[in-house]
Amino acid sequence: MKLIRATVFVLAGLMILPAAWTQEKTQPLPKNLPAYGPLVPFRGPQVVQKRLANGLTLWMVSRAGFPKVSFAVAVRGGMASDPKDRPGLSKLLMDTIDQGTQSKNARQIAEAFQADGGDLTGDAHADFTESMISVLASWASSTLETLSDVLENATFPNSEVALAKRNEADSLRASEAEPSFLANRALAREMFDNHPYSVTSLTQASLAATTPDQLRRAYAMRFRPDRTILVAVGDFDPGPMANAVQKALGGWTTPAGSPAASVPQPVQNNPHGVFLVPRKGSVQTAFRLGAFGPLESSADFEAAEVADAIYGGMFGSRLVNDIREDKGYTYSPGADIQERSEAGVLETRASVRNAVTGASLNEILYQMNRMATTSPTPEELTRAKRYLTGIRAIEYQLQEAVAERLASLWVVGLPPQELGEESSKIQTVTFAEVDQAGRKYFPASRQTIVAVGEQSVIQQQLKPFGLPVHPVE
Amino acid sequence: MKKLNALLLPLVFSSLLVAAPATPPEWKVPLAVKTLDNGLTVVVSRDDSAPTFGLCIAYGIGFRLEPKGRTGFAHLFEHMMFEGTPEARKGIFDRVVEGGGGFTNGDTRFDFTEYIESAPVSALNPALWLEADRLKGLDFSVANLNNQRNVVEEEVRDNVLNQPYGSFYWLDLPQKAFNRYPNAHNFYGDFKDLDAANIGDVRKFFETYHAPNNAVLAVVGDVTPEEVFQKAQQYFDSIPRRAVPAKPDVEEAPQKAERCSVEEDKLARVPALAVGYRMPPRTSPDAIVGAVVGEMLQNGQASLLYQALVKRKKVALEVDGGVNWPLGTPFEYGGPTLMTSFIVYPPKVSERDVLTAYDGVIQNLAAHGASQAELQRIRAKMRSDWYAELEIPVERASVISHFTLLDGDPGRVNKIPDEIAQVTSDQIMTFCRKYLVDTNRTIISRVPETLMGKTVNDAKGGRP
Repeated sequence: MKLIRATVFVLAGLMILPAAWTQEKTQPLPKNLPAYGPLVPFRGPQVVQKRLANGLTLWMVSRAGFPKVSFAVAVRGGMASDPKDRPGLSKLLMDTIDQGTQSKNARQIAEAFQADGGDLTGDAHADFTESMISVLASWASSTLETLSDVLENATFPNSEVALAKRNEADSLRASEAEPSFLANRALAREMFDNHPYSVTSLTQASLAATTPDQLRRAYAMRFRPDRTILVAVGDFDPGPMANAVQKALGGWTTPAGSPAASVPQPVQNNPHGVFLVPRKGSVQTAFRLGAFGPLESSADFEAAEVADAIYGGMFGSRLVNDIREDKGYTYSPGADIQERSEAGVLETRASVRNAVTGASLNEILYQMNRMATTSPTPEELTRAKRYLTGIRAIEYQLQEAVAERLASLWVVGLPPQELGEESSKIQTVTFAEVDQAGRKYFPASRQTIVAVGEQSVIQQQLKPFGLPVHPVE
Repeated sequence: MKKLNALLLPLVFSSLLVAAPATPPEWKVPLAVKTLDNGLTVVVSRDDSAPTFGLCIAYGIGFRLEPKGRTGFAHLFEHMMFEGTPEARKGIFDRVVEGGGGFTNGDTRFDFTEYIESAPVSALNPALWLEADRLKGLDFSVANLNNQRNVVEEEVRDNVLNQPYGSFYWLDLPQKAFNRYPNAHNFYGDFKDLDAANIGDVRKFFETYHAPNNAVLAVVGDVTPEEVFQKAQQYFDSIPRRAVPAKPDVEEAPQKAERCSVEEDKLARVPALAVGYRMPPRTSPDAIVGAVVGEMLQNGQASLLYQALVKRKKVALEVDGGVNWPLGTPFEYGGPTLMTSFIVYPPKVSERDVLTAYDGVIQNLAAHGASQAELQRIRAKMRSDWYAELEIPVERASVISHFTLLDGDPGRVNKIPDEIAQVTSDQIMTFCRKYLVDTNRTIISRVPETLMGKTVNDAKGGRP
């Protein structure tokens, strides 16, 4: 067993006033506003790493006090590993994985988790599938027993698969009424073209064609200890927890066959143009803009994150100030970097009323080009770095967030120390690096633009941009 | 975290990790309360597990008391609280909090409006100063009101007008279930009312309800009660107490008959329905039973409605709901409220079949109550969920401020799991027979435009 020391970065002793706003139009700080106090060092959690003899990776964060335990299980191989003629199969797999084992039916499984104080949730991502549950600490070992049963012995009963197929078909119809679902699906399709990352959901054809046997085969191939991490965070001692995990999952064996195929890096040649998803009756246009950004393991990832915060990631960002607080075009605009193992996507979102569809795109593209052609102010840089650092300290108080974050680090091949180090990396990002990230990732000419809404509104208002407009599904 | 637990519990429970003890963990949060001379109640819960704080200041004003002809105003006003003061102009609030490493937000609910911040403790002083500053007075800028009117109308489009189902299960259901304006109007606001709101309304609403004696400040995190009390005194003490209107009577006459209606949905492709039963007041001994019944029926995959409607009868795609859902926990309401069920069901299934299955579950619970095993499970789940509500400082501050505002008793946050544990099967049966009856409920059937016709007849025919 290897014990990782907590990462401690020390910013103590800094006594700073919120920096004077140098940007034009910004107001002076109130003269009586108290200064920030000295920053208390943020300690990343101690992560105890262990590998069982069968290859299962176990990361544990022991935190006394709050009497719950959160488990996150990530298994390599997600939607990008689904057969080409079965898009979204992983979603159906995660719907049905807890619907029966050799010894328990679906109801017994749900009730066993409920008795521990939890409810198992699962999701299929591009590169992995994930199962999460949080329970009362006193019953964590019982949860492990049920969880291991699901991971090792799921049977995918024919009747449960039939029900899940029928319900997923209707749920897909229900989702297709939502602008956000349509926008996300279209953006991935246009950004990634033939690459498996283009798939973000099931299709009716895929659902109709999938059999219980295909789910069983995908499960047998992917769910194996050497491709799985279990993260436990909460109120326990690592020794007994490791023993409980060994007892529950130590007997899990790795099959002889080869695991899910790895995913190639996508070619980064996303089209610059508008992809119009017609949606009758829309009173808003939902925009999604995407461009390739850095991988999480890239040297300039943190610089790009800081640039994104300045551009659209914070409430006090340029984009929010412009199209919400100044112009009132939208309620909840924003931007972030969406990470997959082999691709990062800088993504911008805004839903705007029909009448300001063209005006809003104009501002979004302007703010992107501003990032690409001018430098951030020192105040913006300081604020963004402090924001990204502080927000992590807040988020990682939630044990589920720590569990989920550690699992996702493992999936992309990063060590658990990253959880504590990412904040210190952000703090050491320089002005020049952020400036460079802005110039590299933000030019509006790199953007694939998806617009969901009334076809005539979008066509008419986006005409002056001179971009090709392609109606898509 | 808590003195006792930090030392004792890990040892006890870890050693029992494999043996699965029969008793759940007991966990209580520390609380210290002080009321300033101007009536501001300050509650502090220390939690030094991370060098951060969460802060919530809740005011005793929500949707219910917004003026007639000004539907949606309480929420529009909440936006105006971020639009600057004579001292700290628009934009300063967010810049200072985000520059301090944190975030800020606001929420409007039926009986209160809350403002939250969370950040590293190094930003506590400026955050408290800014909260006190905006309680002294706002900027009352017409330009900023016009801007936020647009933003709020965009929020309504985003969450209601451009979405399938349009949040009908919380926006429309109370309007059908209740009779009186405070409980039965459009809480997000009709656009004509939002458009009519003027800066005089903002000023009057501010001056009427935003007084220290109508507020609770809760701070949770790596802070001591003494330092928070001292800072609250320093920043808030100069704000004078003001007369706040007595809480008006918002009670409803008892419902006599089931209410059914149909709404056409231009955007949805799959039908849905919402059922709302009127609940007892929060102070009634029945209220805690209602909370348990609501969770037994619709909390997660093991719940009675999920198991019956989605799994056994195969008449629903999803079931969600609860008491005071989705705007809060079953313990945070101060006037007439509902236990709501929101059900999305396959287009090929008739609404009649969904309701038949639904009624079967209710009738079975009323007739047979809950087994000991079922009670044990729901107690564990609700204890676990309740602890989750209190896990991180900003959420704990929020819950504490609501309980203090509604009950004057922040200590109740530590009693909820034990209150739940005392609910019996007999009480559950009695509750179902008294409250979960047809004459006490309202049903809205939400039908996609393309399916109007066949389902309408079902709904008009009333109930099976």
